[in-house]
Amino acid sequence: MRLFEATEEGTVEIKIDEDIRARQEELAERNRELFRERGIRAFDIAGSVGAGKTSLIAGMVERLSDKHGVGVIAGDVATTRDAEQVTGKGARKVLQINTGGMCHLDARLVCRALEQMPESGIDLLFIENVGNLICPSYFSLGVEARVVVVSASEGTHVIEKHPAMFESADLVALNKIDIAEAVQVDLSQPVADLKAMRPNLKVVKTNCLTGDGIDEVLRELKLA
Amino acid sequence: MHEFSIASQIWESVARAAREHGRARVLSIALEVGELNLLEEEQLGFWIKELGARGGSPEVKLKVTEIKALVRCNGCGVEGEAALPAGELNHFLPPILSCGACGSRDVAVVGGRELRVVSAEIEKESADGGSG
Repeated sequence: MRLFEATEEGTVEIKIDEDIRARQEELAERNRELFRERGIRAFDIAGSVGAGKTSLIAGMVERLSDKHGVGVIAGDVATTRDAEQVTGKGARKVLQINTGGMCHLDARLVCRALEQMPESGIDLLFIENVGNLICPSYFSLGVEARVVVVSASEGTHVIEKHPAMFESADLVALNKIDIAEAVQVDLSQPVADLKAMRPNLKVVKTNCLTGDGIDEVLRELKLA
Repeated sequence: MHEFSIASQIWESVARAAREHGRARVLSIALEVGELNLLEEEQLGFWIKELGARGGSPEVKLKVTEIKALVRCNGCGVEGEAALPAGELNHFLPPILSCGACGSRDVAVVGGRELRVVSAEIEKESADGGSG
């Protein structure tokens, strides 16, 4: 940072040239290194409010906690409801981050939460992002993969309306398939929209309440 | 609401630079903001002013240069400004970007996501050595 120009009004302009995006990427990369050092495979579970993120995580924790030390970080604007729903499924540690109004998690918040995780004994971490199909897509957490949960009740054209989020997804769980007919949603449309946008993106149909499809999600994430 | 988290990072960067130059008061901040960040300029300015006021710079203003969305088409290979649907970019309904040449939606974003603090105008030290 150096002196740029002295103006007649008695002010000085200093050149800063700081790339905020690059700094966010650095923070995400720092998380990646922390996860590698601690032998943790971390996953970001994103999606709208009520899509089924917490139910998916609860189902995955239940299936994995026999063979793995699973940790969960749940992000939300308020309450500890998400953490409460997952507690008792076998996770070693469940932490709730209350963002206090922020509509997404970012790498900095995740790093701080990671400091509260036990130093050892955790080899899998599920991070539940704030319920939002827009803002989280701009903030990388430094994880191995992002699973976007989208539900039948969000409408036939939900994919088309939220391109940034689905561009950032590594896997999609199309949830609540059991109520598609009741809410008059033709599931072939979101499937086709995802295929058009991301031909190689895997989509798994799920009913996270009954558990249908969760084993397939785990296989796709190479966790089973 | 992500204007606040971005504003915090911007303010942090500028306040640090001002301190390094031994000055306290920031008068303006020049930013380059890609339009795909979907940042509402007025909200961003509001939060910068709030943070500025708490940091001894109540008059701080933003000077924003908007960077247009640029895409490279995976179909026809053309690189250019993205075609956007009619209407403004919207925090609740982000646009579907398509190639300006052939209309394909199979595009890679190569510009429009920039977020850079370019420079800041800070108050020169006064003759008596004070910063006010």
